[in-house]
Amino acid sequence: MNITLTVNGDDYPLDVEPRRVLADALREDCGLTGTHLGCEHGVCGACTVLVDGEAVRACLMLAVQCDGAAVRTVEGLAGPDGEPHPLQRAFSAEHALQCGFCTPGFLMIAAGALESIGDDPELVDRLVESNICRCTGYEPIRRAIMRAATDCPPASDRSPTSEGS
Amino acid sequence: MKLWTRREDARLLTGHGRYVADLVVPGCLDAAFVRSRVAHGLIREVDCSAAREVPGVVGAWSAADLSELPVCANEAAHLQDLPPVPRTMLAKLSTEDAVNGREWPSLAKDRVRYAGEAVAVVLGEDRYRAEDGAAEVTYRIDPLPAVVTPAAGAADSVSLFDGLSNVAFRGTAGEPIEEVVWRRAAAVVEARYRQQLLLPTPMECRTILAVPEDGRLTVWSGHQMPHRLRLELAKSLGWPAERVRVVVPDTGGAFGSKSATFPEYVAVVFLAVKLGRPVRWIEDRMESMSVATRGRGQDQRVRLAADEDGRLLAYELEIDADVGAYPHLGVGLPMQTAWMATGPYMTPRVHATVRSVLTNTMVTYPYRGAGRPEATAALERSMDVLARRLGLDPAELRRRNLIPPESFPYQTPTGRRYDSGNYAAALELALETIGYDAWRAEQARRRARPDALPLGIGLACYVERSGGEPGGLHDFAGVEADEDGAIIAHCGAASSGQSHETTFPALVARTLGVDEYRVRLVEGDTDAQPEGLGSFASRSAQVDGAALQNAALLFAERARERAAELWGVPVEEVEWSGGTLYPVRDGSAGMDLTELVKATGPLRVHERFESGMGFPFGAHAAVAEIDTELGVVRVLRLVAVDDSGVVLDPAVVRGQAFGSAVQGIGQALYEGIPYGEDGVPLMANGLLDYLVPTASEIPPIEIKDTCTPSPSTPLGAKGAGESGCIGSPAAIVNAVADALQIADPDLLQMPLTPDVVWRAARAPKYEEA
Repeated sequence: MNITLTVNGDDYPLDVEPRRVLADALREDCGLTGTHLGCEHGVCGACTVLVDGEAVRACLMLAVQCDGAAVRTVEGLAGPDGEPHPLQRAFSAEHALQCGFCTPGFLMIAAGALESIGDDPELVDRLVESNICRCTGYEPIRRAIMRAATDCPPASDRSPTSEGS
Repeated sequence: MKLWTRREDARLLTGHGRYVADLVVPGCLDAAFVRSRVAHGLIREVDCSAAREVPGVVGAWSAADLSELPVCANEAAHLQDLPPVPRTMLAKLSTEDAVNGREWPSLAKDRVRYAGEAVAVVLGEDRYRAEDGAAEVTYRIDPLPAVVTPAAGAADSVSLFDGLSNVAFRGTAGEPIEEVVWRRAAAVVEARYRQQLLLPTPMECRTILAVPEDGRLTVWSGHQMPHRLRLELAKSLGWPAERVRVVVPDTGGAFGSKSATFPEYVAVVFLAVKLGRPVRWIEDRMESMSVATRGRGQDQRVRLAADEDGRLLAYELEIDADVGAYPHLGVGLPMQTAWMATGPYMTPRVHATVRSVLTNTMVTYPYRGAGRPEATAALERSMDVLARRLGLDPAELRRRNLIPPESFPYQTPTGRRYDSGNYAAALELALETIGYDAWRAEQARRRARPDALPLGIGLACYVERSGGEPGGLHDFAGVEADEDGAIIAHCGAASSGQSHETTFPALVARTLGVDEYRVRLVEGDTDAQPEGLGSFASRSAQVDGAALQNAALLFAERARERAAELWGVPVEEVEWSGGTLYPVRDGSAGMDLTELVKATGPLRVHERFESGMGFPFGAHAAVAEIDTELGVVRVLRLVAVDDSGVVLDPAVVRGQAFGSAVQGIGQALYEGIPYGEDGVPLMANGLLDYLVPTASEIPPIEIKDTCTPSPSTPLGAKGAGESGCIGSPAAIVNAVADALQIADPDLLQMPLTPDVVWRAARAPKYEEA
């Protein structure tokens, strides 16, 4: 089937089998290998990406379901000038990754909800509980997301001075 | 402010990490394995013909097919038959006696011995085609009765290998203890413990990509021991090691489970060479859950005796180890438990025996802790039972028996020579940090109120071993400067998430007195580093760190010699400071390393370095309350005090301690592999059945450390990273036992699922002594 995926703002016209999962299309067809496959049955969340702003497991969604949708992956987190996203900075600062394999999934699930955390701090717990990390024990990930949420007010009034601690 | 805390972060946080599955090699084929659904049976037929008709399938082979391949017109023409899994005698953990007659085939030919054992391999143009093909392979296997537990295996009523016992290995540590010792003791605790089988579960499953080119083979694999993989693969192919290059790119966790040459690796490499085409195998999670190596797996029987003052008299540990279907490295691994059976106490008599038993399950192999969690759990659970028997506080019983700081080096009855320690200091810090007395008071309050949830406090003191065993305590490291003055550090380690790229250059830079960013690390490539051992046994800082420090000092020494020669002065008159060489006498400006290298050529030091064994130690404490109606354990607090000697990067070590504590919680409460009587693991729902902890299972955890340098290397580092798996399970189980006050310790076997806890909550309680 001919579809077009819009990934991180770029159009990828693809000819895919109906059974092809989104994660494989991103990794193999678009060459965006930052999305990792950790379980291929929807439990670990390493493959989490945003489709039209909503976090999804890219191993459970078919590429054809995303025809015409806007997909955002870890490669699209940084700003256009390459400036790291507050989540990327916070993950590094808090040692929220070790081997880094699950990291793109945690970054994306947090990216999809970051601006809602200010109103609902307990949301952070629910986000971190969604995915599996075998290295860090989660606490650094929780701290990193909190830090990024604090450092990252809604995009409209973001100031450039709130980095670091 | 520095943009990234670790150098690794720049790529791993931006989607630019390179794991094996991310590498693009044109024309690469994907391998899919056809796996036995029965655990034990005789193979009557494997038919791959239908698979070969599937579009996109390039080939499909059973083991029999791979001994009858037509002769190829490439350099592999001499390869006649698919080689077996290489034998591993590493650190004498396995023996010829154990392996002889019990060869592990890369594809099962006549008989399958564990569920999931591969009977055929299919190569496709991509993973979809390969799996399409695998679905078309048919086989007929006549089932045999399955041996699922060590006890059943040891009975030898069903043999995995005809004419050979299922007991593949026996070993002992220490001397047998006379009966009179037990008879005269004031208290003797007897108990049985099960150290359940666990899945290491790194988030990246196993990976291999084999690329034949110009008479050589490049193998990419997420791996802990690239040089071992190179040697074993080369041997399998009948090639000199130089023809194989192993490269370890980013590796998505390992925890001990990625250091071997697995059957699938042999098949992939064999086919790549035979066909002259790149082939990869990217294991998926369901595959990993049925056929990746498992950890632990011991049935233990213990006796622990003390006098009326609580001084330990004797300890006996009998281990029946479940080593899976083929004797591999795991066959001798339980000796680690035996050697470490003495623990941190001055027990004068300790005797440990090991019986390694084959069962129809996947092979057992090191998993984070590897033998030491089993030793710690058996001893520390028994210590709590003994304390109760003697009417002593568990902390006080431990205080009376811990090896005092002045006794090091300490020779144990089980053959270990502990390097250094202050075990009591770790215990006191753990007690203080958790607020031991306050929790005991809370416990007393709750016990006076029948409606309060029972609360318990559990302790575990541990000592473990790091670095490796004699014969494997060395590694190779180098420091070199090229003509632009950049300093490159090399070592034989391979990171799977331990921040080597950040911590090792920092160490070399500190040693040389140069800016951290002037040094970069090269590891995990057998072409760039001719020799190496790898990362296992918590050895990277202890052995490779010390090796790098040593190489850096020698490097500065060589630079001084070069400068001395250049200037025509004695070497004592040349000083190295901050990457610049100064003539001591004439006070001139000096010569930067870059200029020296330009004038005299590249400078390289490459050295073999040998460490002694390290013995990290610590004390963990847990507080848990039990919902006796639901059988749920709520860990309220976990404290881990670890001593890893001199630490290279405290934040990195703390991260390792925290992560391993969470894996320890997993073993204590959640993780286990249920097997059916037919030997098939009952995990059809994958990670919904095998419960690795998620964030919702994490209690407040506090990590603290003490620092007792190891005298085994000038760096003073001991191993770090396995402590949580070693100390935390016993502390948590002890807390639950303390809360429930059960009389029979055997009732609490890990994982402490609601079912186990609910039943234990209704069992007879002990009488207060």
